[in-house]
Amino acid sequence: MLRDITVSFGPHISKGLSTRSVMLDVIVGLVPAMVAAGYYFRIHAILLVVTCVVSSMVAEWICNVIRKKLNSIDDLSAVVTGIILAFSLPPGFPVWAAIIGSVFAIAIGKMVFGGLGANIFNPAMVGRAFLTASFGMMMTTWMVPATMDSTMPKVSAQNTIDARAQATPLALSKEAQKTESGAPQVNQQLLAVFTGEVGGCLGETSALALLIGGLYLLIRRTISFHIPLAVILSAFVFGTIAYLINSEAYISPLTHLCSGGLLIGAFFIATDPVTAPLTRRGMWLFGIGIGSITMLIRIVGEYPEGVMYSVLLMNAVTPLIDRLFKRIPAGGKPGMN
Amino acid sequence: MSIATKGRLSFPGGIHPPEKKDLTCESPIQPGPVVTQVAVMLSQHIGAVCRSLVRKANMVQAGQKIGDCDAFVSAPVHSPITGKVTEVALRPHAVMGRSPAIVIEAFPDNPTKRTHFKLKDGFDVNNYSAEQICEAVRQAGIVGMGGAGFPTRVKIEPNPRLPKKIMIVNGCECEPYITCDYRIMLEWTDEIIAGIKLAKKASGCPEVIVGIEDNKPEAIEAMNRALESSGRSDGIKVVPVKTKYPQGGERQLIRSILKKNVPTGGIPPMIGVLVLNVATCAAIAEAVVEGQPLTHRIVTVTGEAIARPGNYFCSIGTSVGQLIDFCGGVTQKSARVILGGPMMGIAIADLETPVTKTTGAITIITKEQMGKAKFTRRQTACIRCGRCLQACPENLNPTKIAHAVKNNLLDVAEACYMSACIECGCCSYVCPANIEITGYIKTGKIFLARQKKKIPQ
Repeated sequence: MLRDITVSFGPHISKGLSTRSVMLDVIVGLVPAMVAAGYYFRIHAILLVVTCVVSSMVAEWICNVIRKKLNSIDDLSAVVTGIILAFSLPPGFPVWAAIIGSVFAIAIGKMVFGGLGANIFNPAMVGRAFLTASFGMMMTTWMVPATMDSTMPKVSAQNTIDARAQATPLALSKEAQKTESGAPQVNQQLLAVFTGEVGGCLGETSALALLIGGLYLLIRRTISFHIPLAVILSAFVFGTIAYLINSEAYISPLTHLCSGGLLIGAFFIATDPVTAPLTRRGMWLFGIGIGSITMLIRIVGEYPEGVMYSVLLMNAVTPLIDRLFKRIPAGGKPGMN
Repeated sequence: MSIATKGRLSFPGGIHPPEKKDLTCESPIQPGPVVTQVAVMLSQHIGAVCRSLVRKANMVQAGQKIGDCDAFVSAPVHSPITGKVTEVALRPHAVMGRSPAIVIEAFPDNPTKRTHFKLKDGFDVNNYSAEQICEAVRQAGIVGMGGAGFPTRVKIEPNPRLPKKIMIVNGCECEPYITCDYRIMLEWTDEIIAGIKLAKKASGCPEVIVGIEDNKPEAIEAMNRALESSGRSDGIKVVPVKTKYPQGGERQLIRSILKKNVPTGGIPPMIGVLVLNVATCAAIAEAVVEGQPLTHRIVTVTGEAIARPGNYFCSIGTSVGQLIDFCGGVTQKSARVILGGPMMGIAIADLETPVTKTTGAITIITKEQMGKAKFTRRQTACIRCGRCLQACPENLNPTKIAHAVKNNLLDVAEACYMSACIECGCCSYVCPANIEITGYIKTGKIFLARQKKKIPQ
C-alpha cells in the first residue's frame, strides 16, 4: 500500500489555486459588464465578444503549435484578453477588423514574448492600440444603445440632434473644453453614464456593472484594492482640479470616473498581474501613474480618452517600478546589525 | 477569573491553511510501540556530529550515553532501550541522506518500557543552581524539539556578550495536523512550567512569555491554571497569539509578541531573546529533576491515510515503518509520507528512517489532500500575481529568487536576500501556477553553500 509514495519539496499541500481559477474569476467579474453590454447593444455585443474570444483562443492555439509548446488555451487567459478587447471596441465595429485585432493582441502582444507571464504589455491594450492606429475612423464611430429611442433628441454640447452616431460623454467633454461651454449639460447625463445608457465602447459604458464586477474580484481577493483605488483616487484628484478651475469647460470628476474606460481600466486592465508591479508600494505608484496620465490625456491632450495609452505607458515602466521598490527582508539587510 | 483566549498578536504575511488538528487533538498521549530494534542517529541536531562511544556487540543500558562530541555546539545521544549493539551503520536521514546510526536490538524477553515522569510535589527551582541545570541539560542531550534541533545547553547558557532579557516559550504549533505540543501542554502542564522555571533560572532571563495560538484555548487555560497553582508566577505569563502559519517560527513569534525583528542572518540572542519549545521545556524538567536523558518523545502520527491517528510516546530510533504498523497501517492509498507536518515536513521514501529528537509528527496524506496540482507536479508559468510576496512572512520576493535559481543566477538570488528565507513554504502554498518556489529556494541555498566551499580561502 505504500508502494506509490512520492517525494518532493514541501509544502505538500496547496491552496488549490491555479492560473485557470484566477482567470475564471476575472471572467466571472466581467459577466455583469457583459450583461450590460448585451442589454444596451444587443446582437452587436454578442457578435463582438464571441468573435474576439474565439479568434484569441485560435490565435493562441496556433502560436503554441508553431512554437511547439504545450497547449495553453486551458488557462483561459486568451478568453480574458478576448473579452477585454471586445469590451474596448465600439459596438458597431466590423467583425473582420475585430479578428485582426484579437490575433494581433495574442500573437504580438503576448506570444512573441514567450506566452503568458512574459508579456510586457497588456495584450488586449496592444490589440486595441493596433486597431486605433489602423482603423481610426471605425474606432471612433459610436452607436446609440438599443434601449434608447434613436429619434429622441439627445443632449450634446451644441444641443444638436444626432441620431445614428451618438457621441460619447467624453467626446462631448472634449467639445466642451474647446468651446469652454457645455460641460454642465454633460454632467446632467451622469445617471445615464453610470448605468450605461450612453454611446461608448461595448463594455465600458456601464459603470454600475463594472463596479459590481470589480467588487466581486475584490471580495474574492483575485485582485488587491491598491491599483483600482490608486487609479480612481488620482483620476478623481486631477478631475477635481480641472473642474474647480473651470466648471464650464471641464466635466465633473464623477462624470470622468463613470465615463470611458476608467473603471474597466482600474478594475480589469491595470490589475492584470503579468504587467503590473509586484509590490504594494509599486502598485500605488503604478495606479497613480495610470490615473494621472489618463486625466492628463483627457483634460490637456487631443484625444478624448486615454486609458489605453496610460496603461501601456505604465506597463512599460513596470520593471523599473519593481526595481525601485525592492523588498527588504523583515530583519533588515544582512550585515547591517 | 476568566482568561482571555483570543489573540491579536500577529506578524505581516503568513497564510491560513486548513488546520486538520481534529484528527488527533482529542487523542491523549499513549505509549508507543515496544520496539525490538532502534536506530539512534548520531546526528539529531544542528552542529557537530557525535562520535559513537560503543561498538558492535556491546551491551547498552537504557539511558546510557552512546554517542558524544567535544564540540561546543553538539549534543550527546543515548540509548532508549537496554540491549545489544548490532551494528553502527548508515540509516536514511530525512535531511542528510544516509548517515551513521547505532542500531540496538532489545533483549526479546526483557523489552524496555518507559513512561514519562510526573513532577512530584515539593519541586523547588531553588534546589538547583544555574550551572547544575546547564550541565544536566547538556548531559541529557536536549535539543530544540520544535524541529530545528539546536542544542539547548548552548541556548540557555548565559553568554556575557549577548545577555538574554526575555525568554519566549513557543506553544504555537502552527503546522497543520500536528498536535504533539498541544497534548503536552494539556497533559504535562506542570512539567512544562517546571522546565520553564529551570530554564529561566539557568539563562537569567527576568521575564518569560508563553505564546500559544488562539486555536488552542484549552491549552491556554491549562497553562494559566498551572501557573496560578504553582504559586508565584515569577514573571511568567501566557499570551494568546493569532492563529496563522508560520506563527510558530521563532522569528515570527518574536515579531508578534515583542514587535521586534531578529536581524537577517542573525539569531534571537542578538536582540536578547531566548526561544524554547514547550516540549523542550518538559524535557529540561525531566533531565534536571530525574536525570533522565532525552530518549523518548511524543510523535503525532496523523493524516487521512492512517488507521489509528494519535499522539504516541515513543523511543527515539523507532523507524517510521514500525510506527505506521503500530497505528494500524495505512487505510487508503497514501501519496506521501512526511516527517513533520505538511508545510515544512520532509517527504521520505524509505520507511526505515528512524524517529529523531526533532521528529514531531509523521503525516501520511492522500492524493486528495495534496491536491491534483501538487500531486501531478505540473508547474505553469509565473503570472506575477504577487501572492507569494504578500504571503512571505520575511518580506522577500520569493518568485524572483526562485526564478533566479531556476536560471542559475545565484548572485541575483542573493541580491534578493535568498539566505533570509526561512523555508516556511507559504509562497508555494499560495502559488496559482503551482511553482515549487520554496523548493527552488532550498536548492539555491544548497548550490550557494557548495559554491562557497569551492572557493579557496
